[in-house]
Amino acid sequence: MGSRGGEGVTSGGFWAMGGYARYVWPCFALAISILAWNLWSARRYHEQALLRAERALIMAGSERA
Amino acid sequence: MSVGTWEALSLILRRELLLSFRRPDQLLQPLVFFLIVTTLFPLSLSPQLALLREMAPGVLWVAALLASLLSLDGLFRSDADDGTLEQLALSGQALSAIVIAKTVAHWLVTGAALVVMSPLVATALGMPVAAFAPMMLSLALGTLTLSWLGAIGAGLTVGLRRGNVLLSLIVLPLAMPLLIFGANATDRAIAGASPAGALYFLGALCVFTSTLAPLAATAALRISLE
Amino acid sequence: MWTWFYRLASPPFVYRVAARLTPWLLLFAAAMIVYGLIAGLVFAPPDYQQGDAFRIIYVHAPSAWLSLFAYMTMAVAGGIALIWRIKMGYAVAAAAAPIGASFTILALVTGSLWGKPMWGTYWAWDPRLTSELILLFLYFGVMSLRAAFEDAGRGDRAAALLALVGVVNVPIIHFSVQWWNSLHQGATVAKFAKPDMPGSMLWPLLAMLCGFMLFFGAVLCMRLRGEVLNRERLASWVRGAVKA
Repeated sequence: MGSRGGEGVTSGGFWAMGGYARYVWPCFALAISILAWNLWSARRYHEQALLRAERALIMAGSERA
Repeated sequence: MSVGTWEALSLILRRELLLSFRRPDQLLQPLVFFLIVTTLFPLSLSPQLALLREMAPGVLWVAALLASLLSLDGLFRSDADDGTLEQLALSGQALSAIVIAKTVAHWLVTGAALVVMSPLVATALGMPVAAFAPMMLSLALGTLTLSWLGAIGAGLTVGLRRGNVLLSLIVLPLAMPLLIFGANATDRAIAGASPAGALYFLGALCVFTSTLAPLAATAALRISLE
Repeated sequence: MWTWFYRLASPPFVYRVAARLTPWLLLFAAAMIVYGLIAGLVFAPPDYQQGDAFRIIYVHAPSAWLSLFAYMTMAVAGGIALIWRIKMGYAVAAAAAPIGASFTILALVTGSLWGKPMWGTYWAWDPRLTSELILLFLYFGVMSLRAAFEDAGRGDRAAALLALVGVVNVPIIHFSVQWWNSLHQGATVAKFAKPDMPGSMLWPLLAMLCGFMLFFGAVLCMRLRGEVLNRERLASWVRGAVKA
């Protein structure tokens, strides 16, 4: 069996993955989801940390006042 | 009057044993738990001895693991609660001596007791008498290793209010190799094959853990006491 | 050379450097992953034995590798922090844990999905999958332990110690699980055999591996900034960083 380079994504055979489509595609979908979750979660964590730091600075400033 | 490390160790060991025997109900709890858990399996699966015999090593080992885990939380906790632990830590004695003494005491009272009780349970599960000796040896080695692993977990969680479940969560994955080798040794003994290989691995694990765990457990206790 | 090492212990330095590294790491990660996906899904030939199902290796192997790598990072960083009292180590360890756990879950699910066409069952107590599962338990233990402490510093130290104990156990667990599995090997349980890899199959795999590692670096940097801020909230340098 040769590489499917010539046919590419448009052919139905590609999406069928030789009959294993329902195993292969969920794997890749999950992988993309986990990558996306990591990005989102890290970003959110940083933003929350920034908020808490700002609040701490405000409170420290007001204590001195 | 200064006390040498060995003296301190034996003093604390004696103290622990004394305290344990003063509370016979607490002594018996893990053993009764062991019996109860073992009973759960025939009830939920099948009373047929032939079937039980096949599962016996696994059932025995899981029950022993869980019973040992139950009593681990109390390893440092009661002393931590009334401040004795801090006094011991400040006493100038090596903290590791204290940890070793307490862990050995715990094993004598829990693990060793389980080993003594195991033939009773094994008979109930249909295990042939010929397999008893390897089974008891594997349990002895395994419960000792588990006491060491548990000491690390107990040291880490002694300051936490609900440390009990977390302790099990921490210790059980680390105890899985024990389970594999221990149950397998018993299995082979039942089948008539030589359990030597598995027992050697178990022994190696025990030696390895007994050497390194006291360090880790002492460090864990120090973190909790800071 | 030691000055560079000392600077790594400085929170504002780490905070700044992590910010600068992140976009580059993400860029190269994306490039590698895109190449790996296209080359692996479209251009690599189907495997002789496993057909197109083998392509799952392009996400399963990198995620399994990363799950181990993240754990090692967590353990080493925590160890450095414990031994040399470098607080940034705790921040790195805390940042690495959830990332590693997520990749462990990915490895388990993709491994399970790969198992179904190969063995006919979604779960088969295969030694690698079982070891991955135990690794997940170890991750949860470390994360739960850190979270259980009210005093964050104590939680950091306890979690670091547990990670070290765990890392010593990982080879033991792996070995004992393989030993256990080899005893009970029933019918032909095909392991996750790497198919004989011609270049057209291997290069995408290497690219995905590289891409995932770079991605880990990027996300670690992102999370690390949050961890640093949480630990250094009241330090003077934070004022300038927050306003920015």
